[in-house]
Amino acid sequence: MRADLRLAWLLTRGSDRREWWRIGLTALGAAMATGIGLAAVSLASLDGYYSVSVGSGLLDSDSDRRGVIFALGLLLIPVLGFLGQCARIGAVHRDRRLAALRLAGAAPGQVRRIAALESGPACLAGSVAATAVFVPLWSHPTAPAWAGFALVAAAVPVLGAAVSALSLHRVVASPLGWVRRVRATRGPGRLFKSVTWLLAATLLFIVVAPVFSDSFAFTHGPLTLIVLTLLISFTAVWLSGSSSRQLGEGLAARARRPEVLIAAERLREDPWAAARTHAAVLLVTVVGSGFVGVRQVLLAELHTMRREGHLAADLAYYTTGIDLTATAILVALALILTSLAVGAAESLATRRRGLAAQAAAGVPHGVLARALLLETALPLAPAVAVAGIGGLGISAWYASVATDYIVAPVPYAALLVPFAVYACCLLAAATSIPLLRRSVRPAELRYA
Amino acid sequence: MIRMSTRHILLGLLASGPSHGYDLKRRHDERFPQARPLAYGQVYTTLQRLVRDGLAEIEGTASDGGPERTQYRSTEDGSLELARWAGEIAPPAPFVTNEIFAKVVVSILSGGDADAYLRAQRAAHMQRMRELTALKTAPGADLATVLSADYALNHLDADLRWMTTTAARLTTLTSEVDAA
Amino acid sequence: MSNGDSPDSTAPLLAARDLTKAHGRTEALRGASVELRTGEILAVTGASGSGKSTLLHCLAGIVRPDAGSVTYAGQRLDQLPEKRLSELRRTDFGVVFQFGQLIPELTALDNVALPLMLAGSSRKDAQTRAGEWLERFGVRGQEALRPGELSGGQAQRTALARALVTGPKVVFADEPTGALDSLASEQVMTALVHTARDAGTAVLLITHDAQVAAYADREVRLTDGAVAPAGVTA
Repeated sequence: MRADLRLAWLLTRGSDRREWWRIGLTALGAAMATGIGLAAVSLASLDGYYSVSVGSGLLDSDSDRRGVIFALGLLLIPVLGFLGQCARIGAVHRDRRLAALRLAGAAPGQVRRIAALESGPACLAGSVAATAVFVPLWSHPTAPAWAGFALVAAAVPVLGAAVSALSLHRVVASPLGWVRRVRATRGPGRLFKSVTWLLAATLLFIVVAPVFSDSFAFTHGPLTLIVLTLLISFTAVWLSGSSSRQLGEGLAARARRPEVLIAAERLREDPWAAARTHAAVLLVTVVGSGFVGVRQVLLAELHTMRREGHLAADLAYYTTGIDLTATAILVALALILTSLAVGAAESLATRRRGLAAQAAAGVPHGVLARALLLETALPLAPAVAVAGIGGLGISAWYASVATDYIVAPVPYAALLVPFAVYACCLLAAATSIPLLRRSVRPAELRYA
Repeated sequence: MIRMSTRHILLGLLASGPSHGYDLKRRHDERFPQARPLAYGQVYTTLQRLVRDGLAEIEGTASDGGPERTQYRSTEDGSLELARWAGEIAPPAPFVTNEIFAKVVVSILSGGDADAYLRAQRAAHMQRMRELTALKTAPGADLATVLSADYALNHLDADLRWMTTTAARLTTLTSEVDAA
Repeated sequence: MSNGDSPDSTAPLLAARDLTKAHGRTEALRGASVELRTGEILAVTGASGSGKSTLLHCLAGIVRPDAGSVTYAGQRLDQLPEKRLSELRRTDFGVVFQFGQLIPELTALDNVALPLMLAGSSRKDAQTRAGEWLERFGVRGQEALRPGELSGGQAQRTALARALVTGPKVVFADEPTGALDSLASEQVMTALVHTARDAGTAVLLITHDAQVAAYADREVRLTDGAVAPAGVTA
């Protein structure tokens, strides 16, 4: 173990700047995961009614706190996705390095340990930092709360190390791992398809059930929302993946401009890669546009209710909840965009030798940069459109249900979300363009 | 020059059918363009020896309008001998007469510039390699020409590689030769 | 100085004088000078690390030398802005590397058509001309394949077609046969030399292989970043 640790340290110390990026971003992700976990633990440790100074009374009662904890749990998903994306930084080089270790005679278990040791400490650092900032904020934690804090702070680095060891199974299996040709990402597996069908069946049940029984209507609202959201996102992923190949082929055949030709052919070659990277974008588009629509209806309803004196609590109690949700969605969007930018930069780094050769042959920077942007823009367009329409559908459905006090407006605000998300994605992809100039250095021409 | 058995080459040329001396010489020069052309006298004496040893025999004389020519053909023994020779491995040369190495050592011993000699030798080798390459890439060059040029090119290339590594180690060699 | 009309056989098309270039602490070039005349095929040979590739990068305007000058057809390449250099590389120069110059996602045909499309040709015209060039280099029937599906020799001949399709004045080839066996190497070199001679294209050929260098008209040897003195031929 000592030898493994020393090797991991030597490898990290001798690695290039990108490796430090990976470590920094991994620590950041781990800090966020720990922070969310600690917040959830401390909320869960409260029992009964408290008057909490923040949150306009949203954190006071048990049932409201459960909702907030659930929301925090949902927020963990993009954070974990972000951590996964961080592991991909420098993945090609790490694969080669570890495969070289295998060739030099390291046992599979040893390589796996070294890989885990390379990312475990980064996660530990993030987790420690988050704990150090968070715990002093909490006055007089109870013994179970302390236990929960310790559990979260320890679980995050362990999980991080386990994930990075797991993601290397292919390299570890073969000392020639780095020789493998980079194959196109495979389409979704059986699990993905089964889950999609299951979601569709559940939704069908929810829709059809009220026909046979009267007492089934709005009580399943939140469940229906979640099922619908997931179903639309899965469909959008599926659609973007399966349409990408045709889209690429069609565009490549008709392309008149070189950048369109390059982007279209890349899309045709590896259609599912884009779909995977964009899955989170689609989920946040559905959730976001659905939320914006629901919010519009809800606010209209709340204002009417207050005018008519039907509100049980202060208006701020409701709006704080809505704002918190909005913040959570925005945080998720920010994380996803960061992942997207990281992914774009990584894809650039992986291909830098080829790009350097193109630049050396006189292909203008503008063409390469536009091809890079188009690679994100082309497959995302139809998928975001589907996701946006889905989100609009959700809010329209909500509007049709919430007609107790008002005639609900058609939630057109939801339509803005897909456009905003699309623009943000293009901006995120564009952040890698300054890297392009650095990537196409002639020094890259010298290595395989 | 690589010493080849003229006997066996003539037997080989006869294997495709009876032929007369002049025709054999022409076909030899065509088949082996990088080899030294055969002298007619050499063909004639070799054929006589083949007949003496029972490996070839006289088929007859023919004169299609021109001077009278003796036709030769291979015998059964000739075919057997040819098969034996063709299947026998050529012994890898135990000693290579390396004139270049001798010159390098002599020039060190006599205080000459071995490095300049190697550079000049390299230039001469490259010049010959360019000629051979031009020969084999000329439009319409037949495969026999290409293959024999390749044979020569590979040997010259081997010399060149040896000269390159030697030039890089001249200092060590000089101290070794001077010390001895 | 060239007087523009007839190519003066004494004025070089491309000339480098006293080039120095360092990568970090390593000095790749230390005062290298070399000249390339119109239509000439020049081999630059030397040991690994002697500065061959860096010399090619400087001559092709891919990198700027730290000191010294590169003159192409009367223009100082080391002083041109990057945009102009990039344009020059597109129109007047062609490059072939050991590998990596083909875009893996594009078909062989589109790879060759790309420089023409960049120059403003329509896709259809570009493809037609690219097809003719692929045929000249004996890559017939493989137009629809992608670089990963071609053999090494076919891929390099496709790369040559790509480098020559725009009718460049100079082709820069950096170890174009480095990854090929001798037969494939022979086919690539024969194709390069014949096409360059037919079109009057000058070729700067970097190689460590004397048999490849023998395809050239002349050889320049680099040692430690400078041109070694030529041997005195007897």
